Amino acid sequence: MKRQVEHPAPSERELTGPRYWRSLDELAATPGFKAQLEREFPDGAAEMSGTDRRHFMKIMAASFALGGVGLAGCRRPEKFILPYAKNVEGVIPGLPQYYATAMPLRKGAIPLLAETHQGRPTKLEGNPTYAPYGGATSLIAQASILDLYDPDRATAHTKGGAVLDANAVNDLLANIGKTYGPGGGAGLAFLADESNSPTRARLVKGLKQKLPKALWAEYEPLQDEAPVQAAIACFGSAVKPVYRFAKARRILSLDADFLSAESNSLGNAREFAKGRRVTKKTDEMNRLYVAESHLTLTGSMADHRLRLPSSHILGLAASLLIELYPQAKEQLTPYAATATVDPKWIAACAADLAENKGAALVVAGAHQPPEVHAVAYGLNRILEAFGNTVDFVSITPAAAASIGDLANAIKAGSVKTLVILGGNPVYNAPADLDWASLQKSVGDVVRVGYYADETSALAGTHLAAAHYLESWGDARTADGTVVPVQPMILPLFGGLTDSEVIARIIQLSKPDPYVLVSETITALAGGDPEKAMRRFLHDGVLAGSAYPVTSVEFDARSAARLFRGSPSTQTFSAKNLEVRFVTDHKMDDGRFANNGWLHECPDPITKISWDNAILVSPKLAKELGIVPHGSAIQVARKEENDFTIGKENAHVFELTVGGRKLRGPVHIQPGLANYTVVVPLGYGRTATGHVGRNAGFNAYSIRTAAASGFAAGGSLTDTGTRALLANTQEHWSMEGRDLVREANLDEYQKNPAYVKGIGMESHSPSVLGVEGEKMSPAERASKLPRGGSMYKTPEFDGHHQWGMSIDLNTCIGCNACVVACQAENNIPIVGKDQVMRGREMHWIRIDRYYSDGKADARAMADLFSNVASGNREIPEDPQISLQPVACAQCELAPCEVVCPVNATVHDEEGLNTMAYNRCIGTRYCANNCPYKVRRFNFFDWNQRRLDNLYLSQLGPKGVPDLVQMVKNPEVSIRMRGVMEKCTYCVQRIQNGKIQHKVKMAQAGRPGEVEVPDGTIKVACQQVCPVEAIEFGNILDPKSRVSQAKAREQDYALLGYLNIRPRTTYLGRLRNPNPKMPDYGALPLSRVEYNAKNHPAHDDHGHAGHDHGAAKKGGH
Amino acid sequence: MSKLFPKSVNKLPLQIVIYVGVLAAIATAGVTYYMTPKYTRVGYAPLQPVPFSHAKHVQEIGLDCRYCHSNVDKSGHSNVPNSQTCMNCHSMIKTTSPLLAPIRDSYATGKPVPWVWIHQTPDYAYFNHAIHVNRGISCVECHGTVNKMDTVTHMQPLSMGFCIDCHRDPAARLRDPKDVFNLDSKPLAEQGRAADAAKFVHDWKVKPPQSCSGCHR
Repeated sequence: MKRQVEHPAPSERELTGPRYWRSLDELAATPGFKAQLEREFPDGAAEMSGTDRRHFMKIMAASFALGGVGLAGCRRPEKFILPYAKNVEGVIPGLPQYYATAMPLRKGAIPLLAETHQGRPTKLEGNPTYAPYGGATSLIAQASILDLYDPDRATAHTKGGAVLDANAVNDLLANIGKTYGPGGGAGLAFLADESNSPTRARLVKGLKQKLPKALWAEYEPLQDEAPVQAAIACFGSAVKPVYRFAKARRILSLDADFLSAESNSLGNAREFAKGRRVTKKTDEMNRLYVAESHLTLTGSMADHRLRLPSSHILGLAASLLIELYPQAKEQLTPYAATATVDPKWIAACAADLAENKGAALVVAGAHQPPEVHAVAYGLNRILEAFGNTVDFVSITPAAAASIGDLANAIKAGSVKTLVILGGNPVYNAPADLDWASLQKSVGDVVRVGYYADETSALAGTHLAAAHYLESWGDARTADGTVVPVQPMILPLFGGLTDSEVIARIIQLSKPDPYVLVSETITALAGGDPEKAMRRFLHDGVLAGSAYPVTSVEFDARSAARLFRGSPSTQTFSAKNLEVRFVTDHKMDDGRFANNGWLHECPDPITKISWDNAILVSPKLAKELGIVPHGSAIQVARKEENDFTIGKENAHVFELTVGGRKLRGPVHIQPGLANYTVVVPLGYGRTATGHVGRNAGFNAYSIRTAAASGFAAGGSLTDTGTRALLANTQEHWSMEGRDLVREANLDEYQKNPAYVKGIGMESHSPSVLGVEGEKMSPAERASKLPRGGSMYKTPEFDGHHQWGMSIDLNTCIGCNACVVACQAENNIPIVGKDQVMRGREMHWIRIDRYYSDGKADARAMADLFSNVASGNREIPEDPQISLQPVACAQCELAPCEVVCPVNATVHDEEGLNTMAYNRCIGTRYCANNCPYKVRRFNFFDWNQRRLDNLYLSQLGPKGVPDLVQMVKNPEVSIRMRGVMEKCTYCVQRIQNGKIQHKVKMAQAGRPGEVEVPDGTIKVACQQVCPVEAIEFGNILDPKSRVSQAKAREQDYALLGYLNIRPRTTYLGRLRNPNPKMPDYGALPLSRVEYNAKNHPAHDDHGHAGHDHGAAKKGGH
Repeated sequence: MSKLFPKSVNKLPLQIVIYVGVLAAIATAGVTYYMTPKYTRVGYAPLQPVPFSHAKHVQEIGLDCRYCHSNVDKSGHSNVPNSQTCMNCHSMIKTTSPLLAPIRDSYATGKPVPWVWIHQTPDYAYFNHAIHVNRGISCVECHGTVNKMDTVTHMQPLSMGFCIDCHRDPAARLRDPKDVFNLDSKPLAEQGRAADAAKFVHDWKVKPPQSCSGCHR
């Protein structure tokens, strides 16, 4: 096959220069390295601790030092050009190649295009061929490439501490098959993580035929799909819902974080944004009701948000169903009684949903019990959602035992050999199983894992697994489309795939992973096998392989069987807390615990990086006595949470539930249900690499199988100690300012240009002047004089003028752009200690603000008085505003005028560029930047290890080759003492322009130098699932960015400063229901804005605007 | 004070000024001459593992630049030929030449031939070959008349000033696109076709970047 020969076979040794993975095999064979591994492995997982890595570097350094120094003349060091000895098909040195692949994750793989530079993958993008995701990717997909180059990953197969070579591994696996073959597999058990790979399913089937008595169990700590029991009860068949958010005008989420934590969140977000985006007055906009205990990203988008303990969701759902379908009253009333919700909320919400029959949708959270899902199905049935806003697809539930069944088998002594494929049960199995001791009681445990982690430490044999970017495989997306997992590089450390392991155990004649996949795919696709496989790999999807949509009939009588018990009412208080276990935005189930990009990325809501925290509501915090009283500055809400410049000094509490305890820092989180305590999973790993060590606490330690989503009966006790958290945004409130400009839909429909009536600009003549105000953005960029400054910037006479527009109405704050930017632009991580000093390096950040409508004009007056006001309280039920901020490429950039060395200057196309090699690090520019988007390299992050930065020149220099391999060769690596910032991915712009010009010159149309719209996509734009970011040429009035900027709700952040940023924002809209009890005629941030600026009157508009009355507000 | 210092001391301040001035001038001249790319780079002609003569292959045999540097018009990086490219001919010609042993070894073993890198730009400068050769800038502008060289020699300073000079006045260096790979050709301006050069700039919208972002990323 063509694709197999794409990668050059590993040559033995390159003469000089850094040697990549090819030398590691050899390295592993040198006696010194072997001895080192053997000495270290008895210590189990910790074999790659600091000293060893240094030693590892020494070995590496010695071998590649030859290249640099050996023949150096007196002029300069001699360097070499090392061309391939033989042509490699398709490779043009200097141009990246893109291959279709996919990131498998539980039951929803993410289709990807991997960018490779001469066989080295450096960046992942979504595969646009897969239409539901349209080329978008998620935060964790973006970061997953870093794991490939993680120096802490398992680098060898070991048994009892001794290293096994590939042949020994093959023999070992074949021996398992041979040993258990005669007994039909009795005594053999498997524990794997969930997967919907067709190849693995096929092999498991083969395994069950060959070894019928072997136990095959699957365990996945996180549920992200609706439980299939509910579907079977309601519809009599195994189906799963696929939501069509784009068609839904009214959406009710029952504790479902469908924009982030649930399966298919990318597709959901993309579709949701389609229904949310408003480009003109007449556009419809969906309305989102959310009832939830935790403040999720979905909740932050809600038009009406109800804080409700997760265990009361069933009560709410039942009440809604009774409201819409009174026949259910008799059966559901006891359930409805379990939750106390304002009946007006229920009535108005139900009425609104009912008015939109056929375009309404109810979504229940995957962690909710089947009863809630059954009610949600019932609601959807009544709302005529079936076939409209929700489709059902048939699925084949995995014929696998649960981890509980396996535990029972182990207890019964019927498991002699246990093969653990992936997962990490010692870390994340339900606490009531006591998995660690169970696993120890099995004589022979073979673990296939990517890291030598907690589970490997208790396994006799550890086999290194391959990263998905180095293995052949296949997977299905959430809607069932089969996608290829194609390797970009040979396994760096000889890792194995799940399928290969199974194939070797059942002794297939061709256990090669590629053969396994191609057999599966050609059978699925039919036709010419060679062609089918080529097409599959080329497209990255198998056309027509999605799960078939089936029509379902809701069987109310059968569903009613779920509601036979007598529900008990839980009343929560500080003594009886609900503990809610949530999927972390970054760590997933803990598998990304050694990923520095993810750790450093702040949580979208709490803004805490490098840790998790026990989240408590402000009300509970008060009862626990951890809200300090008498703070002076209230609006910023700094002291409320004990902040000192980025360091959140959190109280450490002990959380007890069901007799199990954990300790962790408490973070006061507005927007939680009052007595729900939220603990994010995935932290507190004990056996991981040096990045993930000492990060957070392990919430699995108190999580049981029966209460995996939420548990009652929790209590918190103060340990009297404090812990510092690295919180990147201590500022909680906009203080009545105009940063995020919001309006309700009805106001927008009356006055689409509502943003113009908000902010400083609305009180002064336009900074653009009368003439400038009339111009289009293109004319402004090229014609409007830029002040009368003595400081001259280049004329904006380039062929393009770049600009960006960010739609705050669709941004869901998922943070994918933050890590996409990090991956594209070689942005280093700095570690918790440095984040606490405010030295994080992200070029784009997402600001999150709370508003409760109570910040008023006396906010600042509070500084001087002790009179309590609304400002003094942490908001309990805030509205959330999100705003991505990166360098806005101001046309009159304040940073440029203060640079003494002209290191930051404009170019002809309107980019505010950074010449790193000129920068001397005065940091004046950062000081003068109103957006605070410039980042300074306080240390040599790329050359020094984060744990000894302060040793400076005395510390060891250099990082492992492996780590360097992830760097984008198109972007300079910045050194210590240099300022850096977003430049609209200047490398993509330049390469895009060059490639276009080359193409046109070769096509004989050399004069067409303007790049067509959409050719150049910046990293943040490309990754965005909701298409909130538009980028392009503002000289072209037809470009998408020009059209976005031409919309009336376009405004410049801090526009009154007359800096004329090229990035502008589109104001946010909310769509509340006037009949709801929590309806507000204005978004709460506007209430605060008006209260601060216009205390005399609530409504703010230019008609009849009385500045005299507004004077008190102090503009 | 006259008892302490002789009269000649009166001239000392002036002398100091003159001496310092002269020293500074010498130092400046020295630095400008010896420490700029014009001196440090131009003339660099290292020994290559195989004494490949461009003169022989181009002048005598008539190979086009792009036979070996096959991606120069596609990629930013102009590739040095693979051993396989050499073996296209040398599997039949001079098959036993000891000078070609490194090529044959490389072809047989898959190890690359370590050609010494001559025309280096700094890591933070991103020069792109494709855009230049496709839009009227010949190889000879930066590399000199490689077609006549037995040993490749660094001919131009390739300093930032060198780049910027041309970017400020592209009309002076543009060639007829047909002549880009003809290293004996002259730029349009030097052929007395200044009007053609100006037309080229106009029609092709030639506007080389003069800002940082053109080369630095």
